[in-house]
Amino acid sequence: MKRLLGVALGILTAIGGFVDIGDLVTNAVVGSRFGLSLVWVVAVGVVGICLFANMSGRVAAVSGRATFEVIRERLGARAGLANLAASFLINLMTVTAEIGGIALSLQLASSVDYLLWIPVAAVAVWLVIWRVRFSIMENVTGLLGLTLVIFAVAVFLLKPDWGALAGQLAPTVPQQETFWSYSYYAIALFGAAMTPYEVFFFSSGAVEEKWSVKDLAQSRINVLVGFPLGGLLSVSIAVCAAIVLLPAGVSVTSLSQVVLPVAEGAGKLGLAFVLVGMVAATFGAALETTLSSGYTLAQFFGWSWGKFRRPAQAARFHLSMIVCLLVGMAVLATGVDPVLVTEYSVVFSAIALPLTYLPILIVANDPQYMGEHVNGRVVNVLGMVFLVIILVASIAAIPLMIVTGAGS
Amino acid sequence: MILGDLLGTPVLDADGGRLGRVADVRFVLDGTPHQLMAEPRLLGLVVGPHSASSFMGYERNGLTRPRMIARILRWRHRGSFLVLWEDIAVVGNRSVRLRPGFTRYSTALDDHAQA
Repeated sequence: MKRLLGVALGILTAIGGFVDIGDLVTNAVVGSRFGLSLVWVVAVGVVGICLFANMSGRVAAVSGRATFEVIRERLGARAGLANLAASFLINLMTVTAEIGGIALSLQLASSVDYLLWIPVAAVAVWLVIWRVRFSIMENVTGLLGLTLVIFAVAVFLLKPDWGALAGQLAPTVPQQETFWSYSYYAIALFGAAMTPYEVFFFSSGAVEEKWSVKDLAQSRINVLVGFPLGGLLSVSIAVCAAIVLLPAGVSVTSLSQVVLPVAEGAGKLGLAFVLVGMVAATFGAALETTLSSGYTLAQFFGWSWGKFRRPAQAARFHLSMIVCLLVGMAVLATGVDPVLVTEYSVVFSAIALPLTYLPILIVANDPQYMGEHVNGRVVNVLGMVFLVIILVASIAAIPLMIVTGAGS
Repeated sequence: MILGDLLGTPVLDADGGRLGRVADVRFVLDGTPHQLMAEPRLLGLVVGPHSASSFMGYERNGLTRPRMIARILRWRHRGSFLVLWEDIAVVGNRSVRLRPGFTRYSTALDDHAQA
């Protein structure tokens, strides 16, 4: 019974924790501009993140090494450092976006300007990282994030023309858009679904929670059930936008437009749900990205890390996270639009993805680390297919960004 | 000199012909036994004619998957060889010069042979 409860809790937090500011913004933007013609990308991204999380979780559980410890060992100091710099900077950008997302969500709930919420959000994130136990932190934000199910509920309440919606599913470029902007947003959506921090966090979390080989089955269920359901949740954000905003000719540029379809479909109560869900989802993701920045640095430089240690015993780990939060706050204090930061962060996430994906794929095949738990044949075939997809997305992203003027 | 300075250094034969660059070094653990492990001894240098980049672990014979990555990395390091420390004449700042009649050993590692 207790085991079943553990599995259920794991799945629920995986669903609730799947959506972050990147998914919220990108799905709504894509839904409002491209309808459902890019939903297939979310499906591809979900398969990719399942594969990647499964491999890195397995490497962490079997070898006891988290992602950046593996990268340091396999790539050596010099190539590893370049990898660290890129991954860390993009993660920092995501931290900034998530804190901005908390502040914007709180602004929607309170009508108090988001700039005033930014220090509150950053201090709250820091306090939780400093004081709250890892498992409690994960479960509370994950479960509260489940209130975002209201997006899926709103789809039904909006009573759409299902036939017309299904017709949009075909991957075709809408008339008013170009092929280039379609491809650009495909990469953004892929980056939002397959954000690298999720993997740093997942593998470091496996070490935090002291997984061993016997926990592999449960983690596999969490990933293979929770992430696809989380993916459905993020598709429902796009569907909401496609039903309400696309026909109205509104293309999403702010978070208030993201929640608009829910307000229309599910009323005030729905709005309350979606606001709780957005605060929880962005807060949870802010915790995960901030911790990820500490994890990557500490694992690369060999500092002691982890929330299972007291902060005094992992001083550099905690200090580096404080610095990251301050940097994120400083960037937001310039008044840069957090939604814009988010849009860039998901594309840069896609660009940086091969840097962490390839070392994990290689080590997951190395019997010296993995013993009998090396990748099976099916996982390897999928792994190679995704290596190609990830490389193509990564290489194409910058030229597309230039050609499309970042999608505008 | 530290190892980082040596990696990537051009390797020349006795007549000054270019053979490649230092891609890696090989140690054996057969020195004085200590608490943790025996003292390592520098066996020789791995010379790569095409690439001085990392082998990413694929210098080991046992590692063959994913097949495509293994094949690409082996191809990048085709023709690489191990020269023993005894066959090295000069380790200079700009280049490493080998003695005449040096022997090219295989760079492959057997899985059971390494600790």
